[in-house]
Amino acid sequence: MRETTVIKLLKFSGIVFLLIFCLTPFVWMLLVSLSKHPDFLLSQTPLELTLNNYIQILTSSSVHLLTYLRNSIIISLTAAFFSTFLASLSAYAITRLTFPGRVVIPVVLLAVSMFPQISIVGYLFKLMTWLGWINTYYALIFPYITLGLPLALWIMLSYFSRLSKELDKAALIDGANRFQILQKIILPISLPGAFSTFMLIFIYSFNEFLFALMLTIDYKARTIPVGIALFEGLHGQIPWGYIMAGAVVATIPMVLLITFFQKYIIQGLTEGAIKG
Amino acid sequence: MQLNKIEFNKKEIRDAYLFNAPLILIALIFIFLPVIGTLITSFFRDVTFLPGKFIGLENYKRLIGDSHFWQSVEFTLIFVIVSVSLELFFGVIFALLLNETIPGRGFMRVAILIPWAIPVAISARVWQLIYNYDFGVFNYFVLKLGISNQPVSWLGTTAGAFFSIVISDVWKTTPFMTIIILAGLSTISNDLYKQAMIDGTNFLQRFFRITLPLLKPVLVVALLFRTIDAIRIFDLVYVLTGGGPGGSTTPLSLYAYDYLVSGDFGYGSAASVIVFLLAALLAILYIKFGQFKEVVK
Amino acid sequence: MKKIQSLILILTISFFSIQCGSTKKDFTIWIGGSPEEVDFWASIVSQFNNQRGYNLKLIRQPTYTDQRRQGLVISLESKQPDPDLFLMDVVWINQFIRSGWLQPFTPYVTKSKFSTDIFFKGILNTVDKLNDTLYALPVFLDVGLFYYRKDLLEKFGFNNPPKTWDELVDQCKKITPAEKKNNLNFNGFDWQGAQYEGLVCDFLEFIASNGGGILQNGKINLDTPENLKALRFMHDLIYKYKISPPNTYTEMKEEEVRRAFQSGNAIFERNWSYAWKLHQSKDSPVRGKVGLTLLPHFIDHNSVSTLGGWHIGMSKYSDEKNEAWDFIQYVTSYKVQKQLLLKVGWNPGRKDIYSDSLLLKQIPRLKILYEAFKHTVARPTIPYYPQLSEVIQRYVNDCLANKIKPAYALKQMQNHINELEKFYAAK
Repeated sequence: MRETTVIKLLKFSGIVFLLIFCLTPFVWMLLVSLSKHPDFLLSQTPLELTLNNYIQILTSSSVHLLTYLRNSIIISLTAAFFSTFLASLSAYAITRLTFPGRVVIPVVLLAVSMFPQISIVGYLFKLMTWLGWINTYYALIFPYITLGLPLALWIMLSYFSRLSKELDKAALIDGANRFQILQKIILPISLPGAFSTFMLIFIYSFNEFLFALMLTIDYKARTIPVGIALFEGLHGQIPWGYIMAGAVVATIPMVLLITFFQKYIIQGLTEGAIKG
Repeated sequence: MQLNKIEFNKKEIRDAYLFNAPLILIALIFIFLPVIGTLITSFFRDVTFLPGKFIGLENYKRLIGDSHFWQSVEFTLIFVIVSVSLELFFGVIFALLLNETIPGRGFMRVAILIPWAIPVAISARVWQLIYNYDFGVFNYFVLKLGISNQPVSWLGTTAGAFFSIVISDVWKTTPFMTIIILAGLSTISNDLYKQAMIDGTNFLQRFFRITLPLLKPVLVVALLFRTIDAIRIFDLVYVLTGGGPGGSTTPLSLYAYDYLVSGDFGYGSAASVIVFLLAALLAILYIKFGQFKEVVK
Repeated sequence: MKKIQSLILILTISFFSIQCGSTKKDFTIWIGGSPEEVDFWASIVSQFNNQRGYNLKLIRQPTYTDQRRQGLVISLESKQPDPDLFLMDVVWINQFIRSGWLQPFTPYVTKSKFSTDIFFKGILNTVDKLNDTLYALPVFLDVGLFYYRKDLLEKFGFNNPPKTWDELVDQCKKITPAEKKNNLNFNGFDWQGAQYEGLVCDFLEFIASNGGGILQNGKINLDTPENLKALRFMHDLIYKYKISPPNTYTEMKEEEVRRAFQSGNAIFERNWSYAWKLHQSKDSPVRGKVGLTLLPHFIDHNSVSTLGGWHIGMSKYSDEKNEAWDFIQYVTSYKVQKQLLLKVGWNPGRKDIYSDSLLLKQIPRLKILYEAFKHTVARPTIPYYPQLSEVIQRYVNDCLANKIKPAYALKQMQNHINELEKFYAAK
């Protein structure tokens, strides 16, 4: 019985530690963003709360915070959608049809997921320059779709492979073609899986940094991670209040996303890692 | 599998290729083509202020002779080893904690996802502030708790910068590890533990004899992905230290990037190829020693 | 039905993406630096827009110089129509010219009868021109300066700040031990020795003040007796005379040096001109006690300062070149250069401002600056300067860290640079 009390105590302190570990930087970010004097830990400066930082950065015309956010959301949504869609197509073919290359594709894609982005981005820059796509949404959407494919494929594979081929057979006999089957039967059943995939790829695309850093130039296509990384605040010697306010604004979509969809996200991650 | 014996249905094959075409096409253009392009570029003198010229292995010779390059290799490897070990350690502990039924489970899961879901570039700026010499949180506690009477230069010294990067990276990726390991834990049947408890084993014994061995496949997969990921590290260092002080915390990807955007594309490409080879080498080692084959369907 | 729905969805997203990614014609200038500086530039830009009826947009860059350069390289290499205008650190200009990114000013200079005589000819010829064609104009000139504690020199009976390095050592020998009794953090002379670009500037000043330099007769030649003596002296400052602290080579950059001096922990400081204003700020412990003069030199030679500062250039790919030239004229005009000086303390690129009697009364240090501008040395104007700088930084810092001897450092540096030259030699 001693053991269980000790263990209970350990567990409790462990949980507290975990919460502090995960949330402190986040809480700190919020606190500083609302402070008039971001250096309030120095004994001379008081902690004064204000919304001024937010108002300033959101109304300043040379700070394109909301534009960056919009760019990020559109690019990530598009990439997530198409990535999931393309992966579903392939996953369907792989689980339902027999053809040469059936095993090769997932394995090769798995290898692709290990390619370092730095080895891709250099020549991608040249390619995008040649296509005239630098600083446009296309420059990021296409690479993000591709980067999401390995994970998307493996998750959809795991979902589709659990669905009995009998479902297809019945529909085939009724005269449906493969695409209709995918669209009307398989996908609706696998919607949770597709949604998880969509969520995960959205998150990965939203958070991507290197490509966005090298393939975009200004507010026309720049994404929010780059925007915040290079944001030097407004006014004054110590602009950390502004920088943190910007960081909070940038983080809100993600936090909302996780709060409402954590179930799907975790499911997707575990599918991808365990089953795949 | 018996693929080679079956007679392929022509219609099936046509459908299959149609379904796979978009994925293959996009992967070819936006991943394979750039990788090969980078490889080819690495054999050229590709500098913004000079005409291009084929120079064979010149870039690589320069790389090998550059002490900053080796410094980067060293930093990258040490960082990967330290960081991934710590993540694994904390990941297991947190997973064990979360495995129990706790009130507010949903909140816990949200809390643990936050470090992972926030873009690195953004959380890195928060960490920049936390490590700030004059008014950062860490130095506040260092002085307040009397650990030292001088503030610590977290980002201005080689050792400080290294640990700052490790701490921030562990913060970000431990949640991911935790979730994966948690899922692995959930596959271990409770009956095994019950039986062990009846047999009179204590917690540690149960952990090392039941939990760990059964967790091994999951751990191997998680380690593989995390290691390859850690090799590619870029965002965190770019924002936190910029590779400094004096190039002592420059991972290979940043080393390559700096050359790519300072106008020596060929040299930067060569460095990128090295990163690629390093990742490939690690993957092969893992597959060989982690008995990966059985995981692949 | 469902198929059509999904098709519509796909099309809508695609359409949306296309719309939002389109490039509108923008007239932009990229400015970075401290938030204060950028703020002030924003006011200049809006002034310009109001007075001339333009719609010039200011795009903020990060503060770090390297990040600013990287952003520009990416934009220029991909031949983007933006930015139209940008500021360049003096050491980037050659690479930018040689890479074909800068629009030559010649047609515009001729058309608007612009006089380039009002700028410092030496600087223009060394830095802003290539083969007699003008590609950039100085907006802000900076030099390395020598700050000293007037009160301490007086206290210990020195009438003047040191003119030679030997004098500096003597003065420090007398003052430092006494002051150190009250203040353990006290040092004689603070300068930038950390492994970064600033080190090259300080290094260049030391060696040039002994008649040495990086470029000798157009070729890079570091392994000379003059350079050796100077580098040995830098080493001695830390180890033999112990006038400069050990963290000189680990931490000392501009701000660290400034803060140390401003807290009263040094007699002498080498720093750029920006430090003056901060030393004289209300809560500065050394307010009113600081003197400013040219850097010391070795006997039989002259004081030299490394040239720094920012120049304005126009993108070759700009789609608003005439408008951009208008802004360049505006920003290098007497009025605006004076504003920059008074508001952010930027030393003008124009000669005539330094003879403005009213300004001289207001800002007496202009006289010293003008003197300094006549004795500047530029870092080598070669397109592969970043790589060169990296080599120099590394070896000089290693020498200062006592890892290698000065003679060895210079030899190795030269060997390394010879290889760089071979690689980047045009052909």
